[in-house]
Amino acid sequence: MDNSQDYVIEMLHITKEFPGIKANDDITLQLRRGEIHALLGENGAGKSTLMSVLFGLYQPEKGEIRKNGVKVEISDPNDATALGIGMVHQHFKLVEVFTVLDNIILGAETTGALGFLQRKEARKKVEELSRRYGLAVDLDAKVEDISVGMQQRVEILKMLYRDNEILIFDEPTAVLTPQEIDELMATMKEFAREGKSILFISHKLNEIMAVADRVSVLRKGRYIGTVNTADTDKQELSNMMVGRPVQLEVTKAPATPGEDVLKVEHFCVPSHVHKRNAVNDVSFTVRAGEIVCIAGIDGNGQTELVYGLTGLDRSNGGRVTLCGTDITRESIHRRGKSMSHIPEDRHKHGLVLDFTLEQNLVLQRYNEGDFQRGGFINRRAVRTYAERLIEQYDVRSGQGPVTKARSMSGGNQQKAIIAREVDRDKPLIVAVQPTRGLDVGAIEHIHRQLVAERDRGKAILLVSLELDEVMSLSDRILVMYEGEIVGELDPKKTTVQELGLYMAGAKRAGKEATA
Amino acid sequence: MNGKESFLQREGTRSVLASLLSIVIGLAFGALAILIVGLLSADLGLESAWEGIRLIFGGLFSTGRGAAGELSWGFNGQNIGNMLFRATPLIMTGLSVAMAYKTGLFNIGAPGQYLIGTLTSLAIALGIPAGTLPGWLVWVLAFCGAMLAGALWGAIPGALKAFLNINEVIACIMTNWIAANFVTWMFSISNFKNVAENTKSSYIYKTTYGLVNGAYVSGEGIATAKLGLDRLFPGSQVNGGILIAVVFAIVVHVMMSKTTFGYELKACGANRHAARYAGIADRRNIVLSMAIAGSLSAGGAALYWLSGNTEFFWSTYQALPAIGFNGIPVALLAVCNPIGVIFTAIFMSMLTVSGLQLTNLTAYNEYITDVIISVIVYLSAFSLVIKLWLGRRRPVPPKLGAEPPSTPSQSAADAKDEKGGDAE
Repeated sequence: MDNSQDYVIEMLHITKEFPGIKANDDITLQLRRGEIHALLGENGAGKSTLMSVLFGLYQPEKGEIRKNGVKVEISDPNDATALGIGMVHQHFKLVEVFTVLDNIILGAETTGALGFLQRKEARKKVEELSRRYGLAVDLDAKVEDISVGMQQRVEILKMLYRDNEILIFDEPTAVLTPQEIDELMATMKEFAREGKSILFISHKLNEIMAVADRVSVLRKGRYIGTVNTADTDKQELSNMMVGRPVQLEVTKAPATPGEDVLKVEHFCVPSHVHKRNAVNDVSFTVRAGEIVCIAGIDGNGQTELVYGLTGLDRSNGGRVTLCGTDITRESIHRRGKSMSHIPEDRHKHGLVLDFTLEQNLVLQRYNEGDFQRGGFINRRAVRTYAERLIEQYDVRSGQGPVTKARSMSGGNQQKAIIAREVDRDKPLIVAVQPTRGLDVGAIEHIHRQLVAERDRGKAILLVSLELDEVMSLSDRILVMYEGEIVGELDPKKTTVQELGLYMAGAKRAGKEATA
Repeated sequence: MNGKESFLQREGTRSVLASLLSIVIGLAFGALAILIVGLLSADLGLESAWEGIRLIFGGLFSTGRGAAGELSWGFNGQNIGNMLFRATPLIMTGLSVAMAYKTGLFNIGAPGQYLIGTLTSLAIALGIPAGTLPGWLVWVLAFCGAMLAGALWGAIPGALKAFLNINEVIACIMTNWIAANFVTWMFSISNFKNVAENTKSSYIYKTTYGLVNGAYVSGEGIATAKLGLDRLFPGSQVNGGILIAVVFAIVVHVMMSKTTFGYELKACGANRHAARYAGIADRRNIVLSMAIAGSLSAGGAALYWLSGNTEFFWSTYQALPAIGFNGIPVALLAVCNPIGVIFTAIFMSMLTVSGLQLTNLTAYNEYITDVIISVIVYLSAFSLVIKLWLGRRRPVPPKLGAEPPSTPSQSAADAKDEKGGDAE
């Protein structure tokens, strides 16, 4: 067989430059028919740029793209669609106020003689696809009303509706629950069995090992190599990705907890979605020198619990005591005097994206004596402080302190937030999904920092959806299910399976265990 | 990399260039309009068109016609003084819009705030009988009263936004018309009417008239101090108000860029959630932003009507003042920089003065300057597009470790995470 016929898509020697940076430097990627090919790399390695080139969003300076061995020009996404290439973007491209059906047919509508939509045929086709692949969606629901998992199924159906043969998934699991991830993996394998070719962009090694046939690794815009998943392991892949040996496990000494820092008693927070409480009668304590982790599937009240504790939302019952002071009704500003908060949504709460890095680093402190004099901001002090944090916490950016936060990579934005919050040096750190969307290298860095803060005697309340993180980082695990704490576990004595049962609500400790 | 290219790539440079380009295109368009009108009209012809074009560009320095009927040029103190006088309220409404915009609010309520300022300043200036207080104190009371009233008026849409999340644009438009009708009503029932002139359908108010024994007498009222500017620009309407407006521009600039208060306001504007997260009182700051914006617009009205050479013409027909709306293009052209507002407001006034010269010296009328202003307004709304276009003209050669400039499309924004930080 002719060698080039093996490959359904070949991207040969692709080079793509942006002002000031080579995002892709001579990258070659060959996708076989019917395989699941993972593209692995840290944030900033050039994965999304490469896929944008394939999808026609960017034109490469050098290199060529071949389909079935024939050179093709892809100058916009329409060309890509015509070649049978479909993509599920990391941030979904759906019209929120349209129905699921309308979103699926948008851009590929079949119309009658007078230009009227022929929804009936479209519906039939979509229903058939949905049945065949087990992609359950409610065709008449509006996208804004459905879950993130279902939105992703809509995106997948969009590709299938267009009869795409080459499917690109850009970080598809970042927004899914563990169960939804399993379903997605099964669907992807089903597609591959049918002869569709899949490009799977990820930096989660577990998922790549579970689902991919081959892996291509990128690092800092360069192509590192392609390996068969059968011939490799997680450690080798992460070393290839980061360029140095990475420690996948967190090493930490046993905790030596001190006195109570945060005490939560019968705490309730109302829900904005339904009439019941999102957080119902929750009680726990976090002591100095320990990491307490709230585990649970997304949407079981963790977000609301944090909002209630930090003052972003009002609570409607119970008592919160921080360092011996009742803060249940205190303002965010007052709470901030003894609490750091690494927020769940770094773009919504964590950063003012249009501000510079240095302005963001003093977001809570601009009013403190060090940084202002008589109401005027002391710019030199802010600059010096920002430079110290950037240096100490290795926050990388184009122009240092004056870089706009918006132009920084996600990992460095998170590093900046963590630098700011850790450096405020408060007795309690509330960290919500501090490593979400980050790569192995950055996760390792952040985990080490949290452990170091614990060892310095901080009380750390960690909220995480990643089971690996929960198991390796925490000293105690509290499982939240439907707004209540249903179990307290010791990570050294429990298993992921047992944790999963608690998280799914299948198992529940007696009331006395939660108190 | 050489300095010239990085200078051109700089955000600020591109903003200024985009504004200048809007102005040049607007003027060119006006010249074209003059040429077409001139060629199409039997009375005008090419000769008049050429005169008209020269007046549009250099009307400020026109000194009339010489003995042979040719246009003469030179320093014209009256023109320059009038330009500065007209710029005074525009600087204030421009500051109002620019300041609100910097805090993430679109203050389209400047006309209403201006009207409230008009009402308050006139009511105080005309309501206090002459001789009871020193003239300067009446002036200060009228000015401060107007600013306070404007602040309260501006705070209404601010409060609606902060507490009920009602879009400030809609609230501002509604409060504009409430102001128009409210002011009409207030003047209709006021007992300080019949000031300068009384016709069947309208009254004219002028603050140089003072209340003496129940009747208004010319020369007994108040007027803004000239501060010697009338000697600098003889024959013009200019007064100390322009200096007050410039001081306000500087104060707003310092407040927004140097103080913790400005930092708070900008943080609330750029990301209300993040500001709240950081413990900043977001609701209070939104109300304060709008209140300050309102006080600036109303202060502009006070500076205009207290000048002593303006007559407020009130009729039963209510309308919104153009000076209020013109604050929007003034602010946009200045890319919302308070210091830039001074220059764009002066430029807009220069166009008006040139237009008057055009009317006086040729058969054209001044509405041609309205055409120019509207083209500039349209283009200033496009200034973002122009800015991006300018940015593309000169790509910076690759420099390792630098961030790429943000790109317009959504897809590019998605890919941005991939390009940043980790490159060495």
